[in-house]
Amino acid sequence: MSPPCHKKAGSAAPTQRFPTCAIGKKPYWRSPPGAATHAALMHRFANPARFLKIARPLTQWLFWPGLALILIGAGCGLLVTPADYLQGQTVRILYIHVPAAWLGMGGWTGIALAALVQLVWRHPLAAIAGRAIAAPGALFTAICLATGSIWGRPTWGTWWEWDGRMTSMLVLLFLYLGYIALAQASARDGQGGVSHVTAIFGLVGAVNIPIINRSVVWWNSLHQGPSITMRGSTIETTLLWPLGLTLLGFSLWFGAIVLMRMRAILAQNKVEARMQRLARG
Amino acid sequence: MNQWAFVIAAYAVTAGATIVMSIMSWRAMGSAERAADRLSDRA
Amino acid sequence: MKAKHQRLVLALVALASIIGAGLLAASALKDEAAYFYAPADVKAKGVEPGRAIRLGGMVVKGSLKRAADGVTIRFNVTDGKARVPATFSGIAPDLFKEGSGVVAEGAFDDKGTFVATNLLAKHDERYMPRELEGMQYNETTHEMKVTP
Repeated sequence: MSPPCHKKAGSAAPTQRFPTCAIGKKPYWRSPPGAATHAALMHRFANPARFLKIARPLTQWLFWPGLALILIGAGCGLLVTPADYLQGQTVRILYIHVPAAWLGMGGWTGIALAALVQLVWRHPLAAIAGRAIAAPGALFTAICLATGSIWGRPTWGTWWEWDGRMTSMLVLLFLYLGYIALAQASARDGQGGVSHVTAIFGLVGAVNIPIINRSVVWWNSLHQGPSITMRGSTIETTLLWPLGLTLLGFSLWFGAIVLMRMRAILAQNKVEARMQRLARG
Repeated sequence: MNQWAFVIAAYAVTAGATIVMSIMSWRAMGSAERAADRLSDRA
Repeated sequence: MKAKHQRLVLALVALASIIGAGLLAASALKDEAAYFYAPADVKAKGVEPGRAIRLGGMVVKGSLKRAADGVTIRFNVTDGKARVPATFSGIAPDLFKEGSGVVAEGAFDDKGTFVATNLLAKHDERYMPRELEGMQYNETTHEMKVTP
């Protein structure tokens, strides 16, 4: 930013290092702190107002249909679909395990995208989105590991093995925990959003996502290869369809949770900003 | 049906976690927004 | 505007190089990160007897035999390129059957037979109902047959 004034040739003293620009009587670089924070404040509240106008009704429109789809999908997956020829009834864990894996990985992809927007465009909402995604993302990663373990016992004959897929998914859970810890530690200085260091951590951690995805292709693993690929699905349609319902349902629900957490952070910001103004008098 | 025990356990874990996260997020949002609204009422 | 573009390019270059480095490291780990040896790997590299490894592959159809003691089973493991004889005493998982995947933990003995101390069943990415249209599932052999 260049000062909106012209240096008067010859008028400046030879020792003076800054051009003097008189707005009233104050030089531009000594403007009161209120002026600068006012601009920042406008930037901060202009977008949340627009965001909240959309987010308020959208929260419910994502939450309830999401929950309904989850219940219908899970109900059909438990009661309607036939058992697998090899695994029998345990195949039904698929309908929650796959959405959990998808959202655990999708959550980190969201964190990485939010981090990119935060670091490049300095958008304050992106920093808040990163914080809001972390908890549900970590939860779904944990659900994926737990349901996978429960599924592994009757099918593979083990609760846990250190194969590529399971190990890389556990690494994702640890990445989430690290991200949450970093975000908590930097909660004070980011107006509810995550700090730059946390955002960079989110961006770097994204390297694990393609590794999880490819782990069953690159390495011999106990976990089977991908069933649903670009070439189609090796899951029979009679077994597959409830997965579509639960995938969509959990995704909508995930969106609703993220919106709720963002709204909570924005409301806390508003309260904190008011408290600070009151404290300043 | 031993297999069903595993299926029920997996669904129960997911249901419990989903419900807890829903309630926690909903409550946190509700109390934060109420506090913010009280500020605007006073202003 | 210029600073923003600089940050964008910087962030994307950093991201690309991090992911590139990660994938490079991951592919370099190919052998070390492998969860098991396939029979072809064993034949190609040679695994000394007594070294604890995991052997993975398909149980060759018709090779599964129960020894006279009733506990020990013998079977061949194949990956389509090579096959290795294996033996195991104990309780095998439910999904362990001929024509299906297996990961065995153990070591080779001097005669080249893999002595497993633990068996894990590995299933493939196919999921289908027992009663497919025009197909019939045999409960005892676990095979899908086309019904006439």
